[in-house]
Amino acid sequence: MIYLQALLLALLAGFAQWDSRIGGQNMLDRPIVTGPIVGLILGDLQTGIIMGGTLELVWMGIVNIGGATPPDTVTGGILGTAFAILSGLDTPTAVAVALPIALLAQSLGIFARVINATFNHKADEYAEKGDWRGIEKILWMGAALFFVFSFTPVFLGVAFGSDVVANIVTYIPAKILQGLRVASGLLPALGMAILMRFIFDKHSAAYLFLGFVLAAFLNVSTIGVAIIGAIAAALHYQSLLSK
Amino acid sequence: MTNKIERKDLMKVFWRSLALQGCFNYERMQAIGYAYAMIPILRKLYPDDERMSEALKRHVGFFNTSPQTVSFIYGATIALEEQNATTEDFDTDAINSIKAALMGPLAGIGDSFFWGTFRIIGAGVGASLAVTGNILGAILFILIYNVPHYLLRYNGLFIGYNSGVSFLQNAFSTGTIEKLTGAAKVMGSVVVGALIASMVRFSTPLVLTLGETTLEVQTIFDGIMPKLLPLGLTFLIFGLVRKGYKTTTLMLGLLVVGILGVYLGLL
Repeated sequence: MIYLQALLLALLAGFAQWDSRIGGQNMLDRPIVTGPIVGLILGDLQTGIIMGGTLELVWMGIVNIGGATPPDTVTGGILGTAFAILSGLDTPTAVAVALPIALLAQSLGIFARVINATFNHKADEYAEKGDWRGIEKILWMGAALFFVFSFTPVFLGVAFGSDVVANIVTYIPAKILQGLRVASGLLPALGMAILMRFIFDKHSAAYLFLGFVLAAFLNVSTIGVAIIGAIAAALHYQSLLSK
Repeated sequence: MTNKIERKDLMKVFWRSLALQGCFNYERMQAIGYAYAMIPILRKLYPDDERMSEALKRHVGFFNTSPQTVSFIYGATIALEEQNATTEDFDTDAINSIKAALMGPLAGIGDSFFWGTFRIIGAGVGASLAVTGNILGAILFILIYNVPHYLLRYNGLFIGYNSGVSFLQNAFSTGTIEKLTGAAKVMGSVVVGALIASMVRFSTPLVLTLGETTLEVQTIFDGIMPKLLPLGLTFLIFGLVRKGYKTTTLMLGLLVVGILGVYLGLL
């Protein structure tokens, strides 16, 4: 049973990785989406949804743009959620387990992008001959590599790692676990701080505090805040137009 | 004329453009993916191997932009390839220049709108539902991000093909892009501000004993302003991020702070 589940989760990881490779980057690889699917595969949808949402907040600041290779939230999210269910970890502990996994998997992503660079010269040869089928083949070789580099760690991690993780966690002192729990509440601050690097400037600062006040003082729900944000954006745009 | 580009050819590029990062690598980034989606057009325009070879060589060079906004560049280059196929002495350097000129600005637009705005709003709304165990969170996240994504992806291709570079030049020179980006930042900022209050959990159980009276430190903070500590922590980390501290370092730092905080009774 565990091998079948490992296989399904590994396929999920491969296809999730493909979302940003050959799928157009629809954010279907983010933990908030993969979490519930992991939950379905392992028979605990509820935990999957909650883990997905929690990891999404922690990793909100991790973006896959430009040429850089970020921590692998695909593998980290799927394995972290799987361990929460299979090894019976509570949400904060599972988050603390997912973080190093994402960092380790990041090196696989870097490796894939290095190997793919060797295909460029092959592409030049095909282009020289006008062989468009060759170019298509190369694209799929690169895509296959990305798939394998996500499939493999998830399969091995689920098939052989969940008991290990459960064991290790029983040896961790209670105070450290409590510390990790506290840290999982602090980590979204890092996500927000990274996002602020993109959007925070002297024009938008006031709006950030507006959002803060709406939630902190008035307890407006996030959907309500998003609607007020849209109104603020529309007003801001109109004021720019009339300049 | 037989090799006129039609809607169905553009749609082939639309679907293939999804695979832009299939062979992503550090040297030429999205180059192979770019060429891959151009192939249906090139096959129609250049039946002979020699011209096909020239065209393929044009498109396997370095390329990198946002996957969400790339369709506009496809539209513009398809129009130019079509001109090249039907006009004698067409300067093909124009095709590469257009790609190089458009990929930077469009990456800027794509990143700030899709990664910086729609994704944040989607994740903000979605995650706040998901952490309570509500599956609607994931569904709303997918919709809030992808409805604008596919509207832009689809229309961008046809706008790029029909009006090419002039459309974008116009949008930049009149400041429309800048204004829209400004509006997007506003919306993103409101949501991020709210998420700092609702999603960062940071409080202290510390109780000070001064003779007979005990004082809960958290009550003092709450008296000043609710969620004061999450706000302060976020701005502290924001300062460190701006100073160039790595994400990984800060992440490990927060784990250490959490554990030390518990041992010292501060958190």
